[in-house]
Amino acid sequence: MTLEGKTALVTGGRGGIGRAIVARFLKEGAVVYAADLTPQGSLQAHNDDGSHFVKLDVTQEADAVAAMERVGREAGKLDILVNAAGIEIEKTIEDTTLEEWNQSFAVNTTGTFLTSKYALPLLRSAATPESSASIINFGSYDGFIADPGLAAYCATKGAVHALTRAMACDHGPEGIRVNAVCPGYIDTPMLQSFFESDGSGGGGGTIETLQKAVRDVHPMRTYGTPEDIANLVHWLASDEARYASGQLWVLDGGLSAQVQQMRL
Amino acid sequence: MPLDGKTAFVTGGRQGIGRGILEAFLTEGATVTTCGRGARPKDFPAAVLWCELDVSDPDAVNQLAQTMDALDILVNNAGVQVEKTVVDSSDADWDLVMGVNARGVFNTCRAFIPKMSHGGSIINIGSISGRVSDPSMALYNASKAFVHGLTRSIAVDHGPDVRCNAICPGWIETGMLEAGFDLSGDPERAKSDALSRHPVRRFGKPADIAAIAVWLASDEAGFATGQMFTVDGGMTAASPINPGLT
Repeated sequence: MTLEGKTALVTGGRGGIGRAIVARFLKEGAVVYAADLTPQGSLQAHNDDGSHFVKLDVTQEADAVAAMERVGREAGKLDILVNAAGIEIEKTIEDTTLEEWNQSFAVNTTGTFLTSKYALPLLRSAATPESSASIINFGSYDGFIADPGLAAYCATKGAVHALTRAMACDHGPEGIRVNAVCPGYIDTPMLQSFFESDGSGGGGGTIETLQKAVRDVHPMRTYGTPEDIANLVHWLASDEARYASGQLWVLDGGLSAQVQQMRL
Repeated sequence: MPLDGKTAFVTGGRQGIGRGILEAFLTEGATVTTCGRGARPKDFPAAVLWCELDVSDPDAVNQLAQTMDALDILVNNAGVQVEKTVVDSSDADWDLVMGVNARGVFNTCRAFIPKMSHGGSIINIGSISGRVSDPSMALYNASKAFVHGLTRSIAVDHGPDVRCNAICPGWIETGMLEAGFDLSGDPERAKSDALSRHPVRRFGKPADIAAIAVWLASDEAGFATGQMFTVDGGMTAASPINPGLT
């Protein structure tokens, strides 16, 4: 086990990708706090996995303070922070209300800021010359190239990419590494919602034809699983990644390595 | 006119993007020489000097450079394309694609940089395919990535005398593009699908590339060097999943 003796907190920890990260961290021996709005998160059901549930609305400063107070009281330090909480508004800027825009930034960007800000003292407590602390933010391949009808989401993820580099510069000297994972299409409630709303601007196909079309456009001919992302997050959290900081790690089955696929 | 009094050498000016660039250079006041692997084409602008040259041949490139006086603008446009995967590519394919697209750019830069005046501008034609992969274009994609890397190196090594940039065209209406659609079972559908992936809803024209070439060649672009300038109608700003999935 690679994370024995380490304490981790995962925001969105009961959501699609977050829960897979929590499960992997537990398997690797970490003490894990799964932070989310509700114990069920975005999934229909939740089996007791051995993580500690922390009620956390990442947009609320008082919630972030309280969550870190609890981790400090119980664990005394935090080795790993994963900012996985996120929302997605599937609209162009014309259709996006100011409230939706602000909410997108509040969760995806401000949430990353607030949770990281109040985690810093605990992360410093955990960092040693042999073992740095690790923050893993959630960017997106949409922070590099755009999906249609996802304007606010793309913008929040671009902001997270820049924030990741800034945090890495500022807190690297304190023994804290900061990276972002940038998932492509991952099989989560968020993706299924995207399919159901036909957010790709598709021509009225069924969910099945849409899913197949999305799979087929990937060089790996599939979209990813939450476990695929958890594999990378685990590596970035572990001491194996001790020299990795300030980088954006795209994990998308090769999707963004290719030019647009013309159907010839 | 922005290129008045400037001397330009454009490789591969017979047709397509190269032809568009040399015509724009003439319009903007430059004196233009071009080259190709064959005799001067018919119906070619009278003002343009034509040299028979294979850019992959270093001796021939060096000899041509000996005959030229000072040069202000070098455009490395000559390129070939072989549509194969790595496994299907032969040694001859390697020699052809890397010879023209990679070594050709090296040959002309090596021969002509010493001839370039202070303020000279090298413009290499890279490609969006050097940044993201077109399927079954392995050697072409790699050769264009080479061009991007060499562009940065020349900018670093030969500034401040010479600026060096690359243009990365997307899908430009040349004979090559139409031939691609003709291979499709349903050329009309293929074309409309491809158009839907361009935010500007059209393919590029040689003049679109010529426009940025003129700017990069001009003194307006005096602070631009070492960069890749993508001109693709917005195609690579969008995800490959876009749009019209049915």
